[in-house]
Amino acid sequence: MSEVTAHHDLEHGAHHDDHHESSWLTTYIFSQDHKMIAKQFLVTGIFWAFIGGLLSLFFRLQLAWPNETFPILESLLGSWAEGGKLSNEFYYALVTMHGTILVFFVLTAGLSGTFANFLIPLQIGARDMASPLMNMLSYWFFFAASVVLFLSFFIQTGPASGGWTAYPPLNGMRDIAINKGSGLGFDMWIGSMTLFIVGSTLGSLNYVATVINMRTKGMSFTKMPLVIWALMFTAVLGILAFPALLAACGLLEFDRLLGTSFYLNNIVINGDLQAYKGGSPLIFQHLFWFLGHPEVYIIIFPAMGIVSEVLSVHAKKPVFGYKAMILSLGAILVIGFFVWAHHMFVTGMSPTIGKVFVIFTLLIAIPSAIKVFNWITTIWRGNLRFTPPMMFAIGFVSLFISGGITGIHLGNSTIDIQLHDSYFVVGHFHIVMGVAAFFGMWAGVYQWFPKMFGRFMNPTLGYIHFWGSIIGGYMVFFPMHFMAGVPRRYYAFDQFQSFNNFTDVNVFMTLAAFLVFAAQIVFLINFFYSMFKGKEMTEDNLNPWGANTLEWTTSVHPGHGNWEGDLPEVHRWPYDYSTNGKEINPQNMPLGEGEEAH
Amino acid sequence: MGTTILALLAVVLFFTIIFFVAKASELSSIGKDANEEMESTSNLQGKLLFAFLILGLGAVAWSFFELGPRMLPQAASEHGVLIDDMFNITTVVAMLVFVLTHIALLSFAYMYRYRRDKQAYFFPHSNKLEMIWTVIPAIVLTFLVFRGISAWNQIFDFEKLEGNTEVLKFEATAKQFGWILRYPGPDGEFGNRIIDSEHINQMNELGIDWEDKNSHDDFFADEIVLVKGKPTIVKLGAQDVLHGFYLPHFRVKMDCVPGMPTQFMFTPAYTTQEYQALLSTKKYWQQINPETGNPKWQDFTFELACTELCGKSHFAMQKVVRVVTQEEYDKWVIEKNRSYYYSVINPDASPELVEVAPVELVVDSLLEVVDSTLMEVVAAH
Repeated sequence: MSEVTAHHDLEHGAHHDDHHESSWLTTYIFSQDHKMIAKQFLVTGIFWAFIGGLLSLFFRLQLAWPNETFPILESLLGSWAEGGKLSNEFYYALVTMHGTILVFFVLTAGLSGTFANFLIPLQIGARDMASPLMNMLSYWFFFAASVVLFLSFFIQTGPASGGWTAYPPLNGMRDIAINKGSGLGFDMWIGSMTLFIVGSTLGSLNYVATVINMRTKGMSFTKMPLVIWALMFTAVLGILAFPALLAACGLLEFDRLLGTSFYLNNIVINGDLQAYKGGSPLIFQHLFWFLGHPEVYIIIFPAMGIVSEVLSVHAKKPVFGYKAMILSLGAILVIGFFVWAHHMFVTGMSPTIGKVFVIFTLLIAIPSAIKVFNWITTIWRGNLRFTPPMMFAIGFVSLFISGGITGIHLGNSTIDIQLHDSYFVVGHFHIVMGVAAFFGMWAGVYQWFPKMFGRFMNPTLGYIHFWGSIIGGYMVFFPMHFMAGVPRRYYAFDQFQSFNNFTDVNVFMTLAAFLVFAAQIVFLINFFYSMFKGKEMTEDNLNPWGANTLEWTTSVHPGHGNWEGDLPEVHRWPYDYSTNGKEINPQNMPLGEGEEAH
Repeated sequence: MGTTILALLAVVLFFTIIFFVAKASELSSIGKDANEEMESTSNLQGKLLFAFLILGLGAVAWSFFELGPRMLPQAASEHGVLIDDMFNITTVVAMLVFVLTHIALLSFAYMYRYRRDKQAYFFPHSNKLEMIWTVIPAIVLTFLVFRGISAWNQIFDFEKLEGNTEVLKFEATAKQFGWILRYPGPDGEFGNRIIDSEHINQMNELGIDWEDKNSHDDFFADEIVLVKGKPTIVKLGAQDVLHGFYLPHFRVKMDCVPGMPTQFMFTPAYTTQEYQALLSTKKYWQQINPETGNPKWQDFTFELACTELCGKSHFAMQKVVRVVTQEEYDKWVIEKNRSYYYSVINPDASPELVEVAPVELVVDSLLEVVDSTLMEVVAAH
């Protein structure tokens, strides 16, 4: 089946439809091939990661040297950094956009957009997604969201600057006297998020439909690779949680544009009582975190799935406790919807309600602990090949532990009184869902790069990338735990003698941030160079990592439709490593004589 | 400009060198046995991971010694001790998990690094093990939840102060970018606030009802003054956007929400002086502050900060907090100017005169003003 015509005949197999020519435009831009869409998500995600990382360097400069001037900043940012010093208004715009970009555009769209698209059809043995058109639209809504958000940097009042959490009333009134970024910049933020949610929902519905309906013969649910389970659960989370944010944003825009009072009550500005009556800012917080907390699982699930897969392949050992892994994911999915208010212990919510959320929040530590112990047992007595993806997978487990344990502090409302909105929180979530999720993503990129582009990335650059990222990442975020009572989102600390004890630590963290960024430059060089010039994958080495899953049964450059002949049939679970007298037993390999399916 | 270009060139050169070294190592591996290559790579990376374990644990231990003393010092309030204890217990548990799991993870990585002559051990599951690491975390977490919630109950048990007349009350209303601090005066009762556009204006941002006699001895302050050992309730609010009322040393934090009153209850355990004396015994606080030339503990003050992003000057909403004895507090209260006299009766009156004006007299004169105004209104109709 030729690459040109495959997608017209996914159902009919052999029947060819030759009159429709595929052009450069339909192959690379408006492609309906899940593999191309995955690459589009990946490249867009990498673009955003670069921007988001760059923004963090700007504000890290301010945090490290609040009294210095950097002329280069003025030449880069113009009036936002007059005299070479970031303005406080732009500082808040930077942290707001950094959060928005990293949470939504990189670690949601870039991560699950890439790997759900790429892996679901290839690993369950389907020719494409249930709806390739919807899949394409999902990317283009994301692209439109990206354009709107990107343009908001260039308007006069600047991008949104009221925090990525978009709390009203700061973001609830369209008044640039209150907050410069709450003018057009925030309208664009809302517009961008709306497009983003449409895109994400189209994608998620498609992923779930595909996993449920389009598994190849023999691919029962209990023979599915864990990464597919993780990606399907991610999609379910997205479908259930994102609409809450859409509703929250809609009402917020009503308050801003139409003068309603969903979130506003008795606002006094300069001694002038505003007409808003009867709303509550807490309602927005509830809606926001009803998405916002499941969102962290939307970010971490794909990474967990990828890591389970990568550890097992490179240890040549079945992932330990396959069913426990699925059940723990499922438990996190369900409990994850009942913990959102742990972000609100001291926002004025009733202390009685707080107690319920303490219980659910700490309950979630149990399935998380199960996963960690299972990963560690997976590598126990394995035969570990430390390829770059394996390094990142190990790094992920380390980071997930380090970031996860501090969740036990924060989930306990009593301790959270002191830690809420402090650097302890910044350290916690950057390690557990920022750096860790990135490690999952990189593990996935290094693992499936050969399948995506038919070429290998350079391993030495991969190791440099790994060590720079893990050492630098810990150096940036570990010291933040000692700043347990120091408030986050502070432009400078010189107004308080209580918070001014960490000047040199801030310098240290900024230098480490530059180290991490440098490691990412190494990754970028490696990624784009290898895409065109990397070592080629050959037909006699189609399964370079020695994996059991189906994607490695396709050709070097699989066309649209993935398999040239019939779809592969599945006979065994994906983790038959080092059994049956062989290191690998691919899923499509029939059971041997007397062998029982796992 | 010249240095910028030079720096850029240096950066480009740096990445170019890294790239070519990496590329060379890739080319040199062509033609070699892939398994042998993997064995030597895995050997190196496995050892590096083990070194990372040792150095990492060392760095963590070092950071506790180096950064620990810079953390906020011990709680200066009674309930704060509960929070600190909870924090410390949780940290011990967390560090135990952190160290043990990392030792396991990275030693296994080192021990089971790839060897050509070995095969992995097929070990897909064990219900017994799953049981162990479900039950143990469950027990530990139950303990933490139980302790946490019982502390939480104590901290938010407002009923325990009901009927207690010995409670110090004050009100903090946040706005961009400052705090309006109101004390109820000697009568211990705040004057009413009426939220409508008649009462709220630039002279009276809070909408204080001057006809409520309780308001007459209320006063505004530029600092928070508290009494050691005296239960304190702070009534919180916000004018424009969300703010957060945060007293770091007292472990007090609660958001200030426009249109929704919130509160927090705490008891200061030390006066500022006593707390300074406490710090003076600590090595970190004996260091000299280069700006003032004093030891750090001498410059110490308790502070109020904002912890909910509220706009461009969120980082600058500082007020000083002083904890004093009851006598000092009583003296301070008497010295303060009653906002009522300033705002309503005679803003230009000298503080001394205002201070001694008997409350009844002023009220009467105010009522007269009100009466005559009403008469005028009636007459006009």
